[in-house]
Amino acid sequence: MQKSKKIVVLGHFGVGKTSLIRRFVTDTFSDNYKVTIGVHITKKVVEISVENEVSLILWDLEGTDDIATIRNSYLLGTHGAVFVFDVSRPSTFEHLKDDLKIISDKMPKVPLMVVGNKSDLVTESELKEVLDEQEISVDFLTSAKTGKEVNTLFLKLATLLTTDA
Amino acid sequence: MREKDKIEILKDILFAEEHEFEEKIAQRVELLEQTLQEREKLSKKVDPIVSKHIEEFTKSIPQTLGPVITETLKEEIRLHKDEVVDALYPILGKMVKKYVAQEMKLLSAKMNNQLGFLAFWKRKVKSTFTGKNEKGLMFDDLNVAKIEQVLLIEKDSGILKASFAKSRAMDEEMVSGMLTAIKSFVEDAFSQRDQNLELIEYELYQIHLQSFATHYMAVVISGNYGLTSKNRLQDIIFDFYNSFMAMNLDLVFETNNSENSIVPVEKSKVEKELRKYFGNAKI
Repeated sequence: MQKSKKIVVLGHFGVGKTSLIRRFVTDTFSDNYKVTIGVHITKKVVEISVENEVSLILWDLEGTDDIATIRNSYLLGTHGAVFVFDVSRPSTFEHLKDDLKIISDKMPKVPLMVVGNKSDLVTESELKEVLDEQEISVDFLTSAKTGKEVNTLFLKLATLLTTDA
Repeated sequence: MREKDKIEILKDILFAEEHEFEEKIAQRVELLEQTLQEREKLSKKVDPIVSKHIEEFTKSIPQTLGPVITETLKEEIRLHKDEVVDALYPILGKMVKKYVAQEMKLLSAKMNNQLGFLAFWKRKVKSTFTGKNEKGLMFDDLNVAKIEQVLLIEKDSGILKASFAKSRAMDEEMVSGMLTAIKSFVEDAFSQRDQNLELIEYELYQIHLQSFATHYMAVVISGNYGLTSKNRLQDIIFDFYNSFMAMNLDLVFETNNSENSIVPVEKSKVEKELRKYFGNAKI
């Protein structure tokens, strides 16, 4: 039986939320940056196992420097969330703990994945150094450009949501 | 010396100036005759060359002057947009007029079909009682509101629970999400969470949104959707909701509040009911 789950993807400006979704849904990437205004909705059916499909309705929310300003109405009824930051831009993760606290307050009990995107822009040692400094626990390090870990991220979230339900 | 010779001498003395004048005129006439003859000769030689040059020049205009003319025209259009609009307006007007005339013809043909004896008296009586003119009634008859699509959507998440459509041409799950986002945005923007967005107009279609506690219904309608149609549609929606949805959708669908003992209603069953209620409904 196919179920539908609402996933919100949120984070600061220009961290690659839309690119991440585009890579996952259409397996494409574009360097042409267009700002998301309001919200953009896409869908992808993921096969968890034989006879177990889940339809992910992906809400790509517009980027913001202040996570607290995200419209609560967009977050209502969310089944799962993805917080994206840009590993090459410290300003997008230097207040990560505070940002995650705001998100969990707005959406208590909603499974949340923390994702560092644009991993192709830094070396592994640089990345490790940055993450250690910030004491950040990151679920996935992705690259929308190369496609690294993108499918794994959404598949893991989909599995988590279907087993929780 | 004879008398005749004397007169001649006298003539010469008296008309000396006139002689000179006569000679000058003769010279000029001769010059003119010469010029005319030479021009005719020249023309015969030069004309073909000139004609050939003109012809070559005409042929080369698109290559030589084309870009310049195009650029000049572009610049002129940019600088004088209003004038261009003024110039094009009558042409466009004619095209629109032609299209409207065509549509009026079709409408007229449909109206003729409607002019049956019974229909005529029915409208006559209706017009007398309602006070609405017959043409208006005829137009209403031709453009009745029709239900094209019905979506039952979870209010918060925007997840589509069930749907009914006469023809499916879009991804209903994505549309449900977008409708929910638009609804949320409008209700949020006006800080009126206790009020609901009720209608979205989209060219020939109107989307009626009916909110309930946990879900809302989006009904896509084509045609003349007025107050009477709205009342009829709301009656159908309320009937469906009250009789089939068992008063509380939280109980029939799998939501976070549901308990294990509750058996969720299958989507196909809801869709069957939607078809029953909305499939042949007249609004």
